[in-house]
Amino acid sequence: MFENIKKEFSTRTLVLIPIAIAINIAIGELVVRLKLPVYLDSIGTVLVGAIAGPWAGALTGGLANLIWGLFNPFAAPFFYVAAAIGLMAGLAGKRGAFQNETPRWVSVVVGAVFVFSLTLFILAFINASTDETGYTSYPSMGQLFSQYIVAFIAAILIGAAIGYFLLQKGGYAGMWGLITGVIAAIISAPTAAYVFGGVTGAGTDLLVAAFRASGGGILASVLAQGSVSDPFDKMLSFMVVWLIVRSLPARFTSR
Amino acid sequence: MNAFSMYAARESGLHSLHPLTKILMTLLLVAAGLALPGNWTGYFIVVFIIFPLAFWGRVFLNLLSTTWKVSLPFAISVILIQSFFWGEGTPIFEIGVLSPKWEGAMFAAVSMGKIILVMSGFLLFSMTTRPDTLMITLKQAGVPSSIAYIIVTTLQIVPSFQRKALTILDAQRSRGLETEGNLYVRARAFIPIILPLVLGSLMEVEERAIAIESRGFNSGKKETSLIEIPDTPLQKVIRRVILFGIFAFIVFGVLWRL
Repeated sequence: MFENIKKEFSTRTLVLIPIAIAINIAIGELVVRLKLPVYLDSIGTVLVGAIAGPWAGALTGGLANLIWGLFNPFAAPFFYVAAAIGLMAGLAGKRGAFQNETPRWVSVVVGAVFVFSLTLFILAFINASTDETGYTSYPSMGQLFSQYIVAFIAAILIGAAIGYFLLQKGGYAGMWGLITGVIAAIISAPTAAYVFGGVTGAGTDLLVAAFRASGGGILASVLAQGSVSDPFDKMLSFMVVWLIVRSLPARFTSR
Repeated sequence: MNAFSMYAARESGLHSLHPLTKILMTLLLVAAGLALPGNWTGYFIVVFIIFPLAFWGRVFLNLLSTTWKVSLPFAISVILIQSFFWGEGTPIFEIGVLSPKWEGAMFAAVSMGKIILVMSGFLLFSMTTRPDTLMITLKQAGVPSSIAYIIVTTLQIVPSFQRKALTILDAQRSRGLETEGNLYVRARAFIPIILPLVLGSLMEVEERAIAIESRGFNSGKKETSLIEIPDTPLQKVIRRVILFGIFAFIVFGVLWRL
């Protein structure tokens, strides 16, 4: 185990990490310049994970946010989230997620399952009721299905379309991105809620507001916002890295 | 030095303190602000400790304007969202469905205090500490040289990467790439810009690796430094005291909330 970690940190990896952090920052700014509604500020981190391995990915993510924190202190407390993203990218890379192509039907299934679960989660959240004793009860799945059957069918169709047209042959990489996004949303929510009162100054704050308006507490609303925006952002990041890795010369990825 | 940094070169007592003393001081102030009871502790520390320190470091206006710029979007967001979407409470005014609540606005003001404390504390540190002395200090404090290499190289190459990204953007535009228009057009422009940026920089990796290896990066010998960082016995004592203080605040903060 220890030997494996050591092997990940060759001189080449050490040189790669600052470049990856600079890529995070440069692409993050480019996205703002192109006015795209995503962050995509962890592409470099995912890239190191994919090329060098999980521990190198985690180190890249953690250091990226701590260094970024010297200029924008908002980033620093989330360093462990970025580290987790790098770690996940490394695990995905070890399983060949960035090198392999998958048939398109896999992408369709991944997209459909994800959007379906997201819809289920949001509807359960909106329809939760709190009684006088402060006990929150969630509606059963059966209730939700009968009430919102149209929404669920639409969700499956939209998800399938996203899978077919956006993920294309990178269904496996996209799936790892979605899972990473869910994990990032869950572990970043407590920090966002308790340290920053639930807002970040970014456009996604509107989503937090929407969930607060539907009766959620601060932590629950932040978690709900994260689960809506993070998986898509990380899915796109993983897809971009999948594209990059496949256009790299073979001598780069063979190590 | 054209590095990606906030450093403001001045002659002052604060600038000449050892970087380790300054970073510990910052951590102490942040720990105090978050651990001590009372809703307004954060504001109190900013006004009565950080601002005077900034005066001493001759970066007061600089610090004020940067903290303002970084915190403003956040402040607007937190105040609007917490006051308008607070569940039950005393309304400030009511226009139709809009009714901001006092409790929410107060909560927003309290969280802003913590944010401003963390912001201004770390910004003051970045403004009064040269990035290269920070790296030497890190090494002397026992941080592995590989980590120190990553931090300092990042600070140096980020500006050149930002320029490179803009050059590629311009180059692709001049070849007819549409970068303005609806969302679909802008999203399509993304890949032709980042692929050259990323692939081009990955090609540098090999060269850089050979360059640092040929300069003895992997040799285990202890290296010497061109820049001497002044330190005094008094500061060494102060650092011990601060370290103890940070620990005490954390313990107090946890026990008090139990």
